[in-house]
Order: sequence, then structure tokens, then C-alpha cells
Amino acid sequence: MSTLLALAERIENTPFAVALAESRYAFPVVEGVHLIGLALSVGLIFLTDLRLVGVLFKDVPVPDVLRQLRPYVLIGFAAVFVSGALLFWAEASMLVENPAFPFKLLFIALAGANALYFEWVTAKRIPFRAAQARNAGVASLVLWTLVIVCGRLIPYMQLS
Amino acid sequence: MSYADVLAQLQGSALAHAISKSNHLIGATLQILHIFGFVLLLSSITVISLRLLGLTFTNQPVGRVARDGTRLIWIGLALAVATGTLMFVSGARHYGYNWAFEMKMGLLLAAVLTQVLLFQRVVSVDFPRPALARASAVLSMTLWFAVGLAGRMIGFI
Repeated sequence: MSTLLALAERIENTPFAVALAESRYAFPVVEGVHLIGLALSVGLIFLTDLRLVGVLFKDVPVPDVLRQLRPYVLIGFAAVFVSGALLFWAEASMLVENPAFPFKLLFIALAGANALYFEWVTAKRIPFRAAQARNAGVASLVLWTLVIVCGRLIPYMQLS
Repeated sequence: MSYADVLAQLQGSALAHAISKSNHLIGATLQILHIFGFVLLLSSITVISLRLLGLTFTNQPVGRVARDGTRLIWIGLALAVATGTLMFVSGARHYGYNWAFEMKMGLLLAAVLTQVLLFQRVVSVDFPRPALARASAVLSMTLWFAVGLAGRMIGFI
């Protein structure tokens, strides 16, 4: 047995994880919070991307869109991250063995890197280049889409 | 024909079999598109609501923010309803007796009515009355968030 799997089994056998996994209402509610957090964070990022691509809110300057939506994106991410950690806690061994899960994490990392590069490099240039911003928007749309696809495939790819 | 007969008929239809019996990835694809529709719907309602609450894009008239957002609301809703209908047909007997599903349908009805009768009217003018704007933003977001929460619970009941 791999070390990772052994660790995952120890995590999900803690009393809190067992209680959460077996609870009638808490587990579905945490799943629901994960979805709502996703709709808020990734949903608002999608709208920002569509602004960068030049489809939406063309009257609002890009820096305004970025700055004004950021707090709500972060609130959404906080909800996704906390609920996601709880879901992992409750189902750790299923997730480390699931083929879709590492891809979900990979695409989250790539989407995060793309966002940070955009924030720290592309958007810092004044005036920033529209083509570069558009590319960042397209990359973000594609990567976050892959995150959602991999996430929703998790229950379809359970090995056990 | 009783409710149970209708559900059995739906689930036994050729369409239902095409979805549920051929390849489980068809079901997974519907689930994924359903989520995309919902994400689109909820995020555009959130952006317009934040403007109604005076929290974002305050230098833009409500009507202008709403025009762009509203298109996405209907695209998202159409996608979610179309995929949701196919999912329901393929598992009618599972969904038909699920209290979370019933709750979701009730909330959905309330959310759509609020959207059509209140929200869309409020955002059709550039500067709606602030109290009315805030009330419709809070009501609409609460209902749509609740639809999502109830919907996510269906699979665990």
C-alpha cells in the first residue's frame, strides 16, 4: 500500500471524518456549499474572462472589472476551499485513488498560475496589451472549464 | 394515469434508455453541462445584484450592466433547463420521489417568477429606486442559491 493511500485512510478514519461522511444532512450541505462557492468564484472569473475577450461589459474598463469583482471571487474561493477540504477529509482514500482527482488539482494549479501571471505581469503594464489580456482570458476559460469537468467526473471514475 | 404511471412511462421511454442505458458518459456530460448552465446563470445574477446593491460598477447605470448580464442569465437558464429535463426523463422514478428534487422545483418556480415579475422589471430602468433594487437583489440571489443547494442535495437523498 502506498504511503499516500495509507495517509488518506488515516485521515478519513478520524472521528470527525467518519461523522461527516455518515451524516445525513451535513455532507450534502457541504457539497452544496462547494457548488455555490464554485458558481461565485469561477462564475465571476468566467465573466471577467469574457470582459477580457471583449464579449461582455465593454463599457466598464478592465481594471475596474478586476478590482471590483475581486472580493467576491475571493469569498467564493474561501467557500470552495473550505468545503473542498471537508469533502477530502471525509473521502480521502476514494479521492487519492480517483483518476479524475489529480487532473482536477493540476488544472486548478495551472489556472492559478495563469491568473497570477496576469495579475502580476500583464495587468501591471500600463497600458497593458489587449492581445495579451485576451489570451489570458481564453486560457482561464479553458482551464477552469477543465477543472469543472474533472471535478464532476470524480463520482463516475471511482475505482471501488 | 397516476403520477407513478407517468414516471414509469418516462423512464421506460426510448429517450430515457438512450441516456441512461447506452453509455454512462452521456449522463456525466449532461451533469457537466447542467453545472455550466447554473454557473453562468448564478454569476450573471450575482454581478447584476451587486450593482443593484451599489457594491460594484457604481459608475455604470444599472440598465447597462443588466443588459449584458441578462443575456447570460437566459443562456445559462436554457442550458440548465434543457439538460435538467433530459436528466429527469432518464431517472424519472428516482427524481419523482426525492424530497430534495421537489424542494428544488418549488424554489425554481419561485426564482423564475421573481426573475420575470420583479428582477427584470427593476433592472429595465437605468436608475431604479434604491430600496426596491436592494430588495430584489437579495430575494433573487437567495432563491437561486437555494435552488443550487437543493439541487446538489438530490444525489445524496
